[in-house]
Amino acid sequence: MTARRFGPNDTVDFVVVGSGAAGGVMARELSRAGSSVIVLEQGPRLTAADFRHDEFAYWFELELGNRLDAKPQTFRRDASTVATAVREFPAAWYAATVGGSSTHFTGNFWRFHENDFDERSRLGPIAGTTFADWPIRYADLEPYYTKVDWEIGVSGLAGASPFDPPRSKPYPMPPLPVKSSGVLLERGARKLGLHPFPAPMAIASVPYRDRPACAHCGFCIGYGCEMRAKSSTLYTAIPEAEATGRCEVRPQSYVARIETSKAGRATGVTYFDASKRERFQKARAVVVCANGAETPRLLLMSATSKFPDGLANSSGLVGRNLMFNTYAQVHALFEHELNEYKSVQCTRVVHDWYDHDPKRGFYGGGGLDARGGPMPTVWAAFSAPPDQRWGAGYKRFLQDMPRAMLVATHGTSLALADNRIDLDPTLKDAWGLPALRMTYRDHPDDLKFARFLQERAREIMDAAGARRVWADPVVEATGSPHLLGTARMGDDPRSSVVDRFHRTHDVRNLFVCDGSSFVTSGRGQPTMTIMALAFRAGEHIARFAKRGEI
Amino acid sequence: MEPENASRRQFLQASSGTLGFAWLAANWPQVAAAAAHAHTAAVEGDRSRLLFLNAAQARDVEAIAAQIVPSDDTPGAREAGVVWFVDHVHAGPWSRGGADFLAGLADFQARCARHHPGVAQFADLTSEDQLAYLQHVERTPFFEQMRFLTVLGLLASPAYGGNAGKVGWKLVGFVDQHAWQPPFGYYDAAYEGFRPYDEEAAEGRP
Repeated sequence: MTARRFGPNDTVDFVVVGSGAAGGVMARELSRAGSSVIVLEQGPRLTAADFRHDEFAYWFELELGNRLDAKPQTFRRDASTVATAVREFPAAWYAATVGGSSTHFTGNFWRFHENDFDERSRLGPIAGTTFADWPIRYADLEPYYTKVDWEIGVSGLAGASPFDPPRSKPYPMPPLPVKSSGVLLERGARKLGLHPFPAPMAIASVPYRDRPACAHCGFCIGYGCEMRAKSSTLYTAIPEAEATGRCEVRPQSYVARIETSKAGRATGVTYFDASKRERFQKARAVVVCANGAETPRLLLMSATSKFPDGLANSSGLVGRNLMFNTYAQVHALFEHELNEYKSVQCTRVVHDWYDHDPKRGFYGGGGLDARGGPMPTVWAAFSAPPDQRWGAGYKRFLQDMPRAMLVATHGTSLALADNRIDLDPTLKDAWGLPALRMTYRDHPDDLKFARFLQERAREIMDAAGARRVWADPVVEATGSPHLLGTARMGDDPRSSVVDRFHRTHDVRNLFVCDGSSFVTSGRGQPTMTIMALAFRAGEHIARFAKRGEI
Repeated sequence: MEPENASRRQFLQASSGTLGFAWLAANWPQVAAAAAHAHTAAVEGDRSRLLFLNAAQARDVEAIAAQIVPSDDTPGAREAGVVWFVDHVHAGPWSRGGADFLAGLADFQARCARHHPGVAQFADLTSEDQLAYLQHVERTPFFEQMRFLTVLGLLASPAYGGNAGKVGWKLVGFVDQHAWQPPFGYYDAAYEGFRPYDEEAAEGRP
């Protein structure tokens, strides 16, 4: 069956806004359940043959990204200051292409643990934050994590981590071959009595379904996969949705507004096509999967006289409680060659500090992993120790690249009401729409925990026998690819935007599912959970459609 | 001819046992496709004429870059043709930043002239004087920008004008190839396999 093309006057069951980790899975689940679906994606449709080995194009020209010249963003630390335009790198970094950020992701597919869902109940409130429990528990999501493992394709070793939550099935593929960085992380961590384990990765380690195995080319984080081995929705859920004959993916379709009737129901969306012509797509229901930054922006841009503060925003929480994940790194040099530019980013992970420990004196939990870091240009530009930034010393540093690795730490971000996405009051994008404005300040505990974990990373590298270890200072975040919490899920319409099935409390036929649905940030790798939520939401929404409950 | 040779080399390497035969048999069409479109990235940029800088500006840019990544027994920024990258990038993708870059360079040159009256330009200073002067200005935004541009000119794809003959990649030990097989490095070659923490955990918890 070939992909369906709908006519301009067709009314479809669902318009899905966004084709990434959530939108791709959502389109698959809804179309397989029998609904007609149009997916609107702001970026182009690229294929494996379009992806190149070109650091400059992907990291410095954002070939896959949300380019700031057309779609500017502004940033500020707090509401008392005027946000200024972000110049060099997007504050909200995502891939604007079919497959969304699942096209350029690293593929770290950690499941959340039980405590990520109910930690507020376990620990009690944290002053000044909006720390809360999810309305669902790990057990509710477990079957959908397993669906991600098998339907999308995850490589890993079940039972390897003593900290892992229970799982109903093993991984469908063995772990990817270990890299030298993974061996060294494992060596150092085991010496210290820790429990490193093979990284669960959304990358095929062996041929899987119609896709080949990873060729270890190394152009992974920030790149589209030229082998189709990365389990992006571009290569998995989206072609499967199209194969139903009920789903059309429309690239270069930039949604400007969700339209609503006087009765307060969504009627469809207005979007700009590739030639910037305004078009309207009628739909019986709208599902927004545009990511944790663009989703709230779209809801806010869809304000009407009936919904003056933006759509689905009676709680006032659309765009608020923005969370990232803290990130810190430690660089290490070893005696022999690692050649970390080859193969995938991560092959070993340590979760010994996943849980919060009150003895530390601050909130937080997380994990760390061994990485090659990006490829030569990004590594050379941003990794040099302070005493070797240029000149003969810098050249020695460059020559040490084959012997270098890094350990990255990933941790919790607490939800704060003032951290948010909203509309910039003055700056407009190339379509005349308000620019995305981000307001963000890390909670002090987030930074303390990041520094704590960075010290642990340093100890592990020392124990592994590193010749030299240096750390980049942990500073306040100025943006992130992890965009979470801005339309949070909950049972109470006063303190959440969507219900436990991702239906907005305010508009019966409007659903939101992506990183914005998160109530807590998890420990650093959100995409696995975004996909699991989309599998679960898709199943429920399809059931509502069948029963006439939309 | 270079690009075609590069992809042919890859195929020869692939078929001569660098890669496991079974793996290759399973993946040949994909590797072939990946290598076939690789030539677009490997074409060397044109280094025949300046598109943005004048000759005097280019001399100073080259001299600064050559202090950031000096040439010794191995090539540095000068041999990599960093100046061509700096020139081409401001004539092309980063043309909007061109005026700011020239303003920064003009300020650098003016301050240098005040510091060293009687010397025509930075590039004419002795290497020792160049080094001392750069130490003096290493905290300025212009120096930071020059450092950044030097990195890109050294290590970005040769298509952008720098990294001539891939000398930058050779310096950092990087080989651009579409497929690798383990072992990737010294430490994973000797790895004995993952030891489970206990047998029960090794079998999973269904």
